[in-house]
Amino acid sequence: MIIEIKNLKKKFDKNLVLKDISLTIEKNKSTIILGRSGCGKSVLIKIIYQLFNYDSGSILYDNKSGVNIDKFSMLFQYGALFDSLKISENIAFTDYINNKTNFNKKVLSLMKDVGLEKSTFNRYPSEISGGMKKRAALARALYKNPKVIFLDEPTTGLDPINSDKINDLIIKIIKKRNITAVTITHDIKSAIKTGDNYYFIEDGIVRDKGECNKILKTKNKTFKTFISGGKY
Amino acid sequence: MKYIESIGAFTIKLFSNLGKFILFIFFFFKYLFKPKFYIKNNLSYFLNIFISSIPIIALTGIFSGMVLALQSYTGFSRFSAESAIPNIVVLTLTRELGPVLTGLMISARVGSSIAAEIATMRVTEQIDALKTLNTNYYNYLVTPRVLSLTLALPIFVTLVDFIGVMGGYIVSVYRLGFNDNLYLLNTIDFLSFGDYISGIIKAFTFGFIISIVSCYCGLFSDKGAFGVGSSATNAVVISSILILSSNYFLTELFF
Repeated sequence: MIIEIKNLKKKFDKNLVLKDISLTIEKNKSTIILGRSGCGKSVLIKIIYQLFNYDSGSILYDNKSGVNIDKFSMLFQYGALFDSLKISENIAFTDYINNKTNFNKKVLSLMKDVGLEKSTFNRYPSEISGGMKKRAALARALYKNPKVIFLDEPTTGLDPINSDKINDLIIKIIKKRNITAVTITHDIKSAIKTGDNYYFIEDGIVRDKGECNKILKTKNKTFKTFISGGKY
Repeated sequence: MKYIESIGAFTIKLFSNLGKFILFIFFFFKYLFKPKFYIKNNLSYFLNIFISSIPIIALTGIFSGMVLALQSYTGFSRFSAESAIPNIVVLTLTRELGPVLTGLMISARVGSSIAAEIATMRVTEQIDALKTLNTNYYNYLVTPRVLSLTLALPIFVTLVDFIGVMGGYIVSVYRLGFNDNLYLLNTIDFLSFGDYISGIIKAFTFGFIISIVSCYCGLFSDKGAFGVGSSATNAVVISSILILSSNYFLTELFF
């Protein structure tokens, strides 16, 4: 699915978060959206997912203005697992709440795909580590076989080793399932490793874009400052 | 000038919140009659509320009845009307104290927990996650809580009425020296079905008020720990005010 965003604007009360965003998410590619914390990256993907409304501009999904969000999935920044449900029930959430009982096999297969130990099957989110929660949340996102997956800062809160493992996992899953991925991050290393294309957002505007393997060669001054941690 | 501005901003916020709340109730009824009913979720929530609230309900009932008997005696003994104590205890409990005290206790016990739980879900993006999983949060979160509490409160009030009357009986018989058979006879004879029903209608109303207000406060809470805390506080304060004010109008209705 190709998603084209043109001149998108969004404000909360008087705060104009997205001033003029135009970008294209290409089919079966991994698009990375980079930017500082609070620059509106999460708001942007929630608008694309149709969780938020926007004030002006347009979003086309395969040249259509609307889309059935059944084709989308999202990995939230901190997992957003439901505390009162077991990991297996979280992963198979839609089947579980509709009283379907034959989801165990699919859940176990997904747990294997994301590298989640079998012992976590009957545990609650509060009983597992941050890295495991991310894997469980990823398994939940994959449960409905999405065409597009949105990943909101997938490595936030993880140590460098676990971050790297999650990045490898994302690459493996995107390739294996041939899906379109949109990842939000401010981690340059993850962007280079997992992305095909990138967009850099600052002050609600796309300041730079290009291929992820050329991020470090960018000539955009603002993006260079961002990459060097403000020391450029 | 700034003073007038702040009054204006406050008024706009107040009416905007009122409008949002009315819309919230409208959507609750819309999805209630177009249900995707999660039976397991509804049942488990009802049982959870019911079991966790029994101790607090029992304590509210027993002490209210005991105090009522003692205080009534203090007043009535001054003009030799002690025999009216069983009638006063049962009437006050079934028509007034039972529903109001139960409502206030449940708003503190259950209402605050509903608001805090839903607010935490909002802060940790679990509400957004529900939407991404094609699950309507009215069906999954709001309906079970509102239905459970609206149905549970009349049961709680019946329990408080019964336990309260027993509390009054214990104090009257063992502390004030009433005849036990006469006390029970006076209680049963004097109580009409209408008295009990008026209390039960109040209980339904209070149950709905507590649950709908608490769900609203949770779903529209501000972000962060402060947001979760204030949503729980707001749920209890707004529910309590609405219980006390609607109690007057319901009492007028059954007067």
